Amino acid sequence: MNTANVKLILSREIRDQLRDRRTLFMMFVLPILLYPLLGMSFVQIQQFTQEKPTTVLVVGANHLTDLPRLFENGRFAPELFSDPSRAKLLELHFPPDDPSKTLAEQRAEAQRAVQAGQYDVAICFPETFAEEAERFERTIRDVNARQEEDPDAGPAAAGVKHPPICEPETFYTTANDKSNIAQSRLDEVWNHWNQQRIETNLAAAGLPVEAVRPVELRRSDVADETPYRGAALWSKILPVLLLIWALTGAFYPAVDLCAGEKERGTLETLLSSPAERSEIVLGKLLTIMLFSMVTAALNIASVGLTGWLVFGRLPEFGPPPPAAIVWLAVALVPVSALFSALCLALAAFARSTKEGQYYLMPLLIITMPLAVMPMAPGVELTLGNSLIPVTGVVLLLRSVLEGGYWQALQFLPVVVAVTLAACLLAIRWAVEQFNSESVLFRESERLDVGLWLQHLVRDRQPTPTAMEALFCAALILLIRFFIGSSMQSPEDLAGFAKLAIVTQLVVIAAPPLLMTIVLTGSPRETLLLKPPRGMMAVPAAIVLALLLHPVVNVLQIAVQSLYPINEDVLQALKGVETMLRGAPLWKLMLVVAVMPAICEELAFRGFILSGFRHLGHKWRAIVYSAVCFGFAHAVLQQSLMAFLVGVVIGFVAVQTGSIVPGMVFHLVHNCLPLAVGRISPEQYERWPGVRHLMSPVEGGGYLFDWPTVVVAGLLAAGLLVWFGRLKYPKSEEEELRKTIERR
Amino acid sequence: MIHVDRLVKHYADLRRGRFVALGGISFHARPGQIYGLLGPNGAGKTTALRILSTVLRPTAGTATINGYDVLTQPSKVRHQIGFMSANTAVYDRMTGWEMVEYFGRLHGIAAEQLAERMEHLFDRLKMNDIRDLLGAKMSTGMKQKVSIARAIVHDPPVLIFDEATAGLDVLVARALLNTVAELRDHGKCIIFSTHIMREAEKLCDRVAIVHRGHMLAEGTLEELRSRHHERDLEELFFQLISQHDGAHPPEEEAP
Repeated sequence: MNTANVKLILSREIRDQLRDRRTLFMMFVLPILLYPLLGMSFVQIQQFTQEKPTTVLVVGANHLTDLPRLFENGRFAPELFSDPSRAKLLELHFPPDDPSKTLAEQRAEAQRAVQAGQYDVAICFPETFAEEAERFERTIRDVNARQEEDPDAGPAAAGVKHPPICEPETFYTTANDKSNIAQSRLDEVWNHWNQQRIETNLAAAGLPVEAVRPVELRRSDVADETPYRGAALWSKILPVLLLIWALTGAFYPAVDLCAGEKERGTLETLLSSPAERSEIVLGKLLTIMLFSMVTAALNIASVGLTGWLVFGRLPEFGPPPPAAIVWLAVALVPVSALFSALCLALAAFARSTKEGQYYLMPLLIITMPLAVMPMAPGVELTLGNSLIPVTGVVLLLRSVLEGGYWQALQFLPVVVAVTLAACLLAIRWAVEQFNSESVLFRESERLDVGLWLQHLVRDRQPTPTAMEALFCAALILLIRFFIGSSMQSPEDLAGFAKLAIVTQLVVIAAPPLLMTIVLTGSPRETLLLKPPRGMMAVPAAIVLALLLHPVVNVLQIAVQSLYPINEDVLQALKGVETMLRGAPLWKLMLVVAVMPAICEELAFRGFILSGFRHLGHKWRAIVYSAVCFGFAHAVLQQSLMAFLVGVVIGFVAVQTGSIVPGMVFHLVHNCLPLAVGRISPEQYERWPGVRHLMSPVEGGGYLFDWPTVVVAGLLAAGLLVWFGRLKYPKSEEEELRKTIERR
Repeated sequence: MIHVDRLVKHYADLRRGRFVALGGISFHARPGQIYGLLGPNGAGKTTALRILSTVLRPTAGTATINGYDVLTQPSKVRHQIGFMSANTAVYDRMTGWEMVEYFGRLHGIAAEQLAERMEHLFDRLKMNDIRDLLGAKMSTGMKQKVSIARAIVHDPPVLIFDEATAGLDVLVARALLNTVAELRDHGKCIIFSTHIMREAEKLCDRVAIVHRGHMLAEGTLEELRSRHHERDLEELFFQLISQHDGAHPPEEEAP
C-alpha cells in the first residue's frame, strides 16, 4: 500500500466534502443550532405545561365540615399545597345548589362532564360526609376519655368500634394528560388535608404525631461531590448521542463518496488510476471517519454547552461533568472507525445516492439497540456485555462517567479487542465491496420478481450461490421462529420426540432440500453426497468427536459461567432433562443424535456451506456456515457452542469433500453427553478406565479431569492437522484466488 | 504493445441468463498505431476496454499491456495506460487544474515535473481558461479536455478511448480526433472504440469489427475492403453484421 496515495485521496475527499453545502450544513450548522433551539423550546414547554391551571368540579361541597379547612375564597386552602402559590392552579367550580337533584344524579352528571372534557377532574362528597366525619372524631374522643378513666383498657377492651370512614370520590380520565395532571394536584391537596386531620385526631387522642410513623428512613445521596452530580443522567445521554451522531456523520459522506461517485461517473475514473483498491478504500474510510468524528464531537460539544446553560441551574441534573468530554473523545475514535467502515461498505453497494439513503434506516435499526440496551436499568459492564460490539463501548463509557475507573480498566482490553476486531471485519467488507465488479458496475434494472425467479431456476449452477445460502439460513430461522411460537412445549417423551422430529424435518431439512432441487443443477455436489477423500476420513471423524468431547465440555462450562443461563430457561431445560432420563437410550439417540446429524448436516454443511464456498475462501465459508448453524440454536449459550462445533464440522466437510464424516462426527458428538449422563456410580466404580478420565462432581454427574482435557485436546489438534493436509476439492472462486495469489 | 488473447467475459443477467459479453476475442496493437474497435451498441467494446483498464476481470483468456498481465499485475498495467470513456467523468467539486494534478500525483509524478508538464498540457489543449473553473460549471467540451489531460498527464505509452466522442458536438469531437491523431504521431499505442464509421475511416490504422462479443473481421481498412469487395466501410460493416445475425439469430434483442 502506498501511503502517499492514501493521503492524496484523503485530502481530495476532504476538500470535496468541504465544498459541498449539504455536508457543511449537516456537520457544522445543524448541531450548533439544534441543541440551543431544543433547549430553549424545552424550557418554554416546561413553563407552558406548569403554568396551565386545571379545572375541578366540586359536587356536594356543602356536606363538608369545616375542620380542617379545605376551601378558602373559592379555592383550595393555600396551606394544603407545598407551595401555597400553586393553589391557583386548581380552578374550582361549584354547581348551583339544586335540591330537586339527588346526589346520585349529580354524581352521574359530574362523571359525564369529565368524560366530555368540560372539567379536568370532579370530586364528589357524599351527603353523610360531615356527619360520618364528626362521628369518627367523636368516637376517638370517647375512647380517649375512657382510657383516661382506665389506663389499662385499649380501644378494643373499651368495646368501641370505629365507624367506617366515608370516602369522597373523584372522577378523572387517564386518556387525557391534563386530567392526569389535575388528579395528581388533587392528590397533593388530599394528602395534606389528610395529614392535618391525622394530626388533629392524634392530638385529640393525646398521641404525638410520630406515633403514625415511628421510624423514618433517612436517605443520604453520597453522589453529591460536584464532578459527579448529574453523572447518572449524562452518563446515559452522552454515549448514545455520541453513537447516533457518529453514525449519522459517517453515513452522509459515505453515500456521497461511494454511491455519489458511481452516479456521477467519477468512480471509474478513479478505479482506472494507479491507486489500488485498498488505497481508495482507506482514503475514503479516513475521510468518512474524520467527518463522523467531527460531527459527533460538535454535537456533543453543543449538547454539553446547552446542558450547561439549561440544566446546570437545575440542582437535580447539574451540568455534564467535564471529564466526560475527555472520555467521550477517546471512545469516539473506535466507534467512528467501526461505523465509517460499515457505512462505506453499504454505500459502495448502493447504485445511487437515493438507494444509499434507503440503507440508513436499517443500519440505525440494527445498531441502535446495541447503543440503547446499555441504558436499561441493571445492565452493567461485565465480561459478557463487554464482548458485544458497541454495547461494550457504551457501558465502558458509562462506567467511567459514573466514576467506576477500576471496573472500566478491567474490561478495557476486552472492549478494545472486540471493537478492533469489529472494525477490521467491517473494513474488510468494505474492501470486498470495492473488489466486487458486480457491486461496482451494478446496472439499474427494474425490479421484476417473475423475471428474477425465472433467472434463479433457468440459470442455476451446480451449487447454490452465497446469497441463496444466506437466504436458506434466514428461511430456517424464520420457519423456526413461527413453528417455535405456535407449538407448545412438550410434556412427555412422545411430545418431545414429535417436536424434535418435526423441527428437524420441517424447519432444518425441508428448506435446503427444496432449494437444492429447485435452484441447483447438481444435488450431489451441493449436498456433498460423495464418498469422502481418504479411506480413514470416517474413522478419523469418530475419533475426533471422541477426543473433542472433554474440550467441548470444558468450553460449555466456561460459556455458561460467562453468560449465565436465565433462571426460567434453566428450569425448562431441567424439566426436559428429568423427562428424558427415564427414556430408552436408543429412542433418545434417534431423536437427539441421528435426526440432527442427518438433517442439520444436509442443511448447514450441505446447501449452506456449498453456497458460501463461492465467496472464494474456504475459511470464510466455514465460519459463515458455522454462524448460521449457531443462530439456528435457540439459547445463546447453545448457539456459541454450536458455532464452535460448526467450525470443526465445516472444516472436516471441506477437507474431505463429503457430508459423511461430518454426519458421523455430529452423531457421535450428540450421543456422547447422553451416554456419559447415564453412567451410574456403580458403573463408574466398576470401569477402571472411566475413573482415570473423569471425577464425580457435587450434585451428580461427572467432569473430565484436566489431564484428560489437555491430552485429548492435543490429540484432537493433531487429528485436525491431518484433516488439514488432505487435498480438498476447491470451488471455482477459490481456484481463481489461488491463481492470483500465486502470481 | 497490447496483446489480447481469446478474452472471454460472462455476466449474470436476469433476462438473458448467463450473458456472454465477450466470446473470446484476440488482437494485437503496436506503438504508433490507432487500433479501432468498431461495433454497434452492446457489441462488447466497453467490456473489452474495461478489462484492458483492469476495472473488470476477464472470465477467461489473457490480455497484456506492455508485457504486464491485466489480471495479475493490474497496478503495473494502470501505470501504462491512459483510459478515457463516456463513463470516466470529471469531479464536480474540483477545478480543471486540481483534477489533472490529482491524477498526476496518483501516478507518482514529482511535483516540479508535474507542474511543468501540466503547464505544457494546458497550453497545448488550450485549457488555461478553465484552470480554476469547477467541474460542475464546465461545458461538455471543457470536461472532455480535462478528461484528455487527465488521461495523458503521466505520458503513458498506451491510450484507450472508449466511445470518447459520444455526446460531443461536431467541433469538440473534431478537436478530440485531432488530439488522438497527434498522440499517435508521438508514438503512442492507441485503442479507439466507436460505432461511427467516419471516425474509424479517418483515424484508424487497423480495425476490428465486433458484434455480440465476437470479432467478425480484422485488418487494415484496405485489407478489409479488398477482402470483402466493398469500398464503403458502413456498407461493409452492415453486411458483416447481417451475415452474422443470419447465421446466429439473436434469441432476444439486447436492451
